[in-house]
Amino acid sequence: MARDDFARAYSLTTLSTILLSATLLSSATLAQTAAPSATQSAAAAAPATTGTAANAATASRSRGPVDPGLRTGDPGAGDGLTGLTDTEKQYFEVAKDVFQEVDGVAEGLGPRFNLDACAGCHSQPAVGGTSPAINPQVRVGKDANNVIPSFITEDGPVREARFVRNRDGSPDGGVHALFVITGRADAGTCKITQPNFAAELARNNVIFRIPTPVFGLGLVENVSDGTLEATLAANAGQKRALGISGRFNRSGNDGTITKFGWKAQNKSLLIFSGEAYNVEMGITNEMFMNERENDPSCQLNAIPEDTTPMEAEDTASPAANYQNDITLFAAFMRLSAAPKPAGATPAPAAQAAASSTVVASADSVLPVAAGTNSTSTAAAAASPSATATVDRGRQVFGNVGCAACHVRSLTTAKSSTAALSNITFEPFSDFALHDMGQGLADGVSQGGANGREFRTAPLWGVGQRIFFLHDGRTKDLNEAIQQHASRGSEANTVVGNFNMLSVDDRQAILNFLRSL
Amino acid sequence: MRSTLILSVCCVACIVAGGVGVRYGAEVLSLGAVMPAVADPQDGSVADGVYRNTYFDLSYPLPAGWTEGVAGPDPSATGYYVLQSLVPKGELSATILIAAEDMFFASEQSPSLAVMTDTFRHAISQVDGMSIDAEPTALEVAGRAMQRIDFSGAGLHRSLLATEIRCHLVTFTLTAREPETLASLRLSLNRLATAAQGRAAVSAPPCVRDYVVADNLVERIEPDVAGATFESIPVRLVVGADGAIKHVHVIRASPSRRKALETALRQWRFKPPRIDGRPTDIETGLLFKSAVAAR
Repeated sequence: MARDDFARAYSLTTLSTILLSATLLSSATLAQTAAPSATQSAAAAAPATTGTAANAATASRSRGPVDPGLRTGDPGAGDGLTGLTDTEKQYFEVAKDVFQEVDGVAEGLGPRFNLDACAGCHSQPAVGGTSPAINPQVRVGKDANNVIPSFITEDGPVREARFVRNRDGSPDGGVHALFVITGRADAGTCKITQPNFAAELARNNVIFRIPTPVFGLGLVENVSDGTLEATLAANAGQKRALGISGRFNRSGNDGTITKFGWKAQNKSLLIFSGEAYNVEMGITNEMFMNERENDPSCQLNAIPEDTTPMEAEDTASPAANYQNDITLFAAFMRLSAAPKPAGATPAPAAQAAASSTVVASADSVLPVAAGTNSTSTAAAAASPSATATVDRGRQVFGNVGCAACHVRSLTTAKSSTAALSNITFEPFSDFALHDMGQGLADGVSQGGANGREFRTAPLWGVGQRIFFLHDGRTKDLNEAIQQHASRGSEANTVVGNFNMLSVDDRQAILNFLRSL
Repeated sequence: MRSTLILSVCCVACIVAGGVGVRYGAEVLSLGAVMPAVADPQDGSVADGVYRNTYFDLSYPLPAGWTEGVAGPDPSATGYYVLQSLVPKGELSATILIAAEDMFFASEQSPSLAVMTDTFRHAISQVDGMSIDAEPTALEVAGRAMQRIDFSGAGLHRSLLATEIRCHLVTFTLTAREPETLASLRLSLNRLATAAQGRAAVSAPPCVRDYVVADNLVERIEPDVAGATFESIPVRLVVGADGAIKHVHVIRASPSRRKALETALRQWRFKPPRIDGRPTDIETGLLFKSAVAAR
């Protein structure tokens, strides 16, 4: 793909922000009238957020806490790590541009695909995030004369679809791309059809996954297996009283821990990039060389479609000039900063010394005097009362046992990239697999993870996510918590503890989560 | 690609509970109470208002107005079991979690009832906002040696009571909004009893650490395990007094691996175990680690 062709690069984030703001403003008004007074006061102490009518209506029925809703204001994500050298910054910025490129068939798109750009799926609240408020799959699918499956809607999450079983009953589990290039002006004579999603839905054979945010993943990549294993073992005693165990997914090649993806099925960011480029966009590459669709009429390009340039590209980074796309995707993820919690102080410069450096911390949520911020919502977010309830929420989050799996902090090993070396960061995950029970089960095995196991979802940045859980089934944090409990789940006791809390303490947890 | 199977033998220190531990070559950890011929730890259930677990020889009459909670996960790869959750009918104001951890596979280097309770106390004390309300204390509940620790945080009051049965740490975690409710739940544990219910009791075999070693193995059949993925599989075996396998319990494995391991292990033969010079059935554990030689 030519690096100088950004004519169609995504302006989706801007568009989404405008539409989202309009949607949520109206929702906020409804929320204020629907929520019970007892919870209104607690929710009002939340960080800069915008509530939703649905969340408030649910709370009204149950007299429970209210999800404060999507935190607005500065996304606090999408930039490079603090402490990058000038050369690394140039490399990151070029990688970020490539991450936003929109590809056509000539660049390798299809024959089957879910979307035409990485940043289409990974865009909320900034490039590299997760599913935006307005699903771009609807427009892209229609552009190619595809039928939009019933589970893809304008205001729903970006989704990939997997079939649980093949027709003969054997396990499938693979991604079945939503769209085909058939009918596009650049698709030549390719004549293939979309999967019959309606029939598979009728068979109850389709599960969904939404995009995982990619912010800060270089930090995750640089945590040693020994640190992860020690972290899992360190609170084994506490977990024993909570019904929790957990284990790691591991690479079938070398036995080391795998960390990326909803089931921690991917070993590295490079593999993650190569697989997604092929599976989500249909672009063959030097990691995943082969087309997944073998119809001869649709083999329109030589493979791999993404290759290492033999002549220098013209970019602002000499280091990027000879890199293929998947390497740059991985670089974007690796060098991107962790999401900043609300009111976080700037991260200090990274240190290559043995001592650990702490990146933006949830501890650093500080009250900001009214009027020092340009928006009223941001000022309200940082009010002393908001800080109090967020602090209480953080404490209760640990007391009831959420933090047994959503482990607050990890420290990276010594890295050849100084900005990643010996850094303590706060992903709120142990990156282990846990049995989440029948309620969340998707019946898909990946690596060592079975159909009920999922990696502990990192909660950093959760305050600015719209859709929750692996399939984006809810926009309501409280509902997402409740969905953790079902027959067979390791989280049943913790959810029981959560439900025994006072409304104020449950509200404090939701406010804390929306501050992340 | 070549697949190899590596047998690892559990190596944990000797624990003597209840004063009935003896030594015989390998370490004999405890002589159990009673058991029916075949039962596994997860086989307990609630019936007629009583939780019964024949493996652990436990019965626990539920407090009045209580019932089963949502079932927990399958046994873990470290031998941790959520045996039963119990909740009051109606409003959720308290919970009881009955769990067990196989001490052969525990993460602690020197597991024992006291060590594990101290480890738990330390972990809880590190949680912001959590207070230790009663330090770990040894006590006897319904004739069983137990350790108790009380702690609280966020308006939830909790007691952990732990005992050792058949080389498992069996725990009762009681959680309540009100201290008075918690106290009544603790008292309810005085109704713990044997699961035998008047039937003829069968002595549980003593659990013996480190019995699966080459010196004790007479015949070993390698399991046909395909698609190795660096998975560790914990297994408990009951070895008969004649050295033949009487029971295989693959604690956590995929269905295909479970079947392969069960098939192979049932054919293993050991030197006849002896304790105090007398032939006896024993229960022991082993950890299979399958690995792939990639090159």
